[in-house]
Amino acid sequence: MEAVEQAKPHSLGGGQYLTFFVGGEEYAVNILKVKEIIEYDTVTVVPNTAPWIRGVTNLRGNVVPVVDLAVKFGLPASQASKFSCIVITEICYEGEKLTMGVMADSVSQVLDFSANDIESPPPFGTRLKIEYLLGMGKLGKKFCLVLDIEKVLSAEEFLAVEDTTRTDQALPPSPSARAAESGV
Amino acid sequence: MDFDRDAVLTSFIAETQEGLDLMEQSLLAMESNSGGVELLDDIFRVAHTLKGNATSLEFDDLKGFAHATEDLLDVLREQNAEISAEVISLLLKAVDELRALVAATSSGNPRLTPVQQELRKQIGGAVAARSQRVIAANPKGERSMNTAAPATVVATRTLRTDIDKLDRMLNLTGEIVIAQGRLRRMIGRIQQDSAREILEMQSETERLFRDLQDEVMRIRMVPIGTMLRQNLRAVRDLANSHSKLARVEVIGEDVEVDTSVIEHLKDAVLHMIRNAVDHGIETPPVRKKHGKNPCGVIKISAAHVSGNVVVTLEDDGAGLNRKKILERAKQMGMFATSTPASDSELYQVLFRAGFSTADSVTDLSGRGVGLDVVRQNVEALHGTVEIASQEGHGTTITIRLPLTLAIIDGFSVVAGSDTFIVPQQYIIECTELTDANRKPGTSGILNLRGNALPYIRLREVFTHSAKGQSAPSTARENVLVVKVGEFQAGIAVDRLLGGMQAVIKPLGKVFRGISGIAGSTILGDGRVGLIVDVPGLLQGMMQSSLQPQLG
Repeated sequence: MEAVEQAKPHSLGGGQYLTFFVGGEEYAVNILKVKEIIEYDTVTVVPNTAPWIRGVTNLRGNVVPVVDLAVKFGLPASQASKFSCIVITEICYEGEKLTMGVMADSVSQVLDFSANDIESPPPFGTRLKIEYLLGMGKLGKKFCLVLDIEKVLSAEEFLAVEDTTRTDQALPPSPSARAAESGV
Repeated sequence: MDFDRDAVLTSFIAETQEGLDLMEQSLLAMESNSGGVELLDDIFRVAHTLKGNATSLEFDDLKGFAHATEDLLDVLREQNAEISAEVISLLLKAVDELRALVAATSSGNPRLTPVQQELRKQIGGAVAARSQRVIAANPKGERSMNTAAPATVVATRTLRTDIDKLDRMLNLTGEIVIAQGRLRRMIGRIQQDSAREILEMQSETERLFRDLQDEVMRIRMVPIGTMLRQNLRAVRDLANSHSKLARVEVIGEDVEVDTSVIEHLKDAVLHMIRNAVDHGIETPPVRKKHGKNPCGVIKISAAHVSGNVVVTLEDDGAGLNRKKILERAKQMGMFATSTPASDSELYQVLFRAGFSTADSVTDLSGRGVGLDVVRQNVEALHGTVEIASQEGHGTTITIRLPLTLAIIDGFSVVAGSDTFIVPQQYIIECTELTDANRKPGTSGILNLRGNALPYIRLREVFTHSAKGQSAPSTARENVLVVKVGEFQAGIAVDRLLGGMQAVIKPLGKVFRGISGIAGSTILGDGRVGLIVDVPGLLQGMMQSSLQPQLG
């Protein structure tokens, strides 16, 4: 069993990063968190979930949630195009390995960042909550936002969602929905 | 070396648990029909094995305790006299403490607790008291250890394995089902003569595969008896503490169900039994007055009925007080305008959370405590529960469960742009939503052969909240008439696609607590389809119609 990369501050340690575009912005994620990249295919909408949870998709027989970072970062929902893909990440969710998909408008490149190439995140100036960022990666004259994907997709984020959606939900959670989650 | 010890320890724990369960059951059996030398031999063998295992693992305190127990059993065996209820109680206590001690020991805390030390002394005392008598009565005192040797039973070859491995196997078979469906369709599209041969071959593979799948499912099936028997002890202790007499009859022990069903059924059965002993069975004087046998009977039976497992728990106690339940229900604002159509409809209120409040425990003689838990557990298994009762003659609770949780028979429907699966067990019929009954909106009433049937529109319920996409209305709509317990309702959908076997895939932690969805499955075209949680959906609709609509 391979262990999940702990969320230790590998932030400024450099290494290989995958960059991709969401809403015109280039983001980077440590490649150790990325399992694979798949073509964007039909994503089934799950009712009564947060807008930034785009739905679920079939990854070789496993049902994997797909999130839309554009919506999460306050932009209009991503439109599927022929360049759209889903970056499949493997993160640590409540102490367990969990596979989750991140929708991207396009995948850009894999970069070798040395420690010097990543600067600590600026206190303001980006659309993102500061805790989502590990830093700013230098891309020639531009910068890309190096995401702490564990934070962006952490259980707290999803639980917070539950709280905000619950008020406008027509239906309260039922015992069988809880059972669905526990996977009996 | 350390790793080896872990493995040994794991199998020690599993083996000991089984042994102690056997010991407990044998003790209870001995109590109900005293005698039975074989039973005593069984019990002795467990204690002996436990002592041996504890010795080899160097758990000294555990060894000592097991040894004391073994001594007492040995004396009892030699004495060959009737075994009193006190001794059985003492031995049952010893079983409890051994369980606790094994758990504590294996988690690195091998010392006896003061309670255990005290109990050990008591056991020692009992041995001393008895062995003196034995020596006096039977000076030969032949001790033969031979009987403790493992019995030579013609055993089937078995293998202990991890359930996770079986789960993975089942998952894989599920995926192959999906892949084969796709392959079949692809071959169907080929326009050449050779396609027919390929299709034939494919059919043959599918047939073989179905056999394999049946076999995989069968591995997971275990007899329900062990789980039901575990409750014998609970009944005994409960009845004792309420100074009542009760015995349990178990029927259909060899009925097999999926191992995960058993796991989830355990709590429900325990709650039902508690209820029966607590509130169903009367005290012996009361029973005598009503001309019943002073000892109450709780009958637990399991049977296979048309693809379902039906577990029934029947007691011959006081039964439910219909009048008081109705009163209480009305106090809580139920049946304000209507009267319940049937007793079973009325008794469904017992399964409501919060129906039995503290003051109703006395009012209603407490029935309903824990029944909410039963309902939740059963619904989580996609099952139903019903209650029937005759005042003065007892109560019967019937639980119906699907045989397996991994695959359900579903009916696939289209609502909005998505395909949903409705579990077939809830569906009574399909009918067209005629123009006369069609009104826009989330819900409405439709006329079904003269009866008013409330219906909900799946498209509206599910797409309204879904990212604000407004769903276009379709020219025709169909209604699935569903039944949950005694309650009937309609689910209006855009299109009916037909029946299918759905391999249930959990949605995962991220979707914890979402309502109206019971899980997901992979559809024939590779997309993910959501499985509708029918009871949850209807319950949600009822609750939201009680509250003023938000926005």
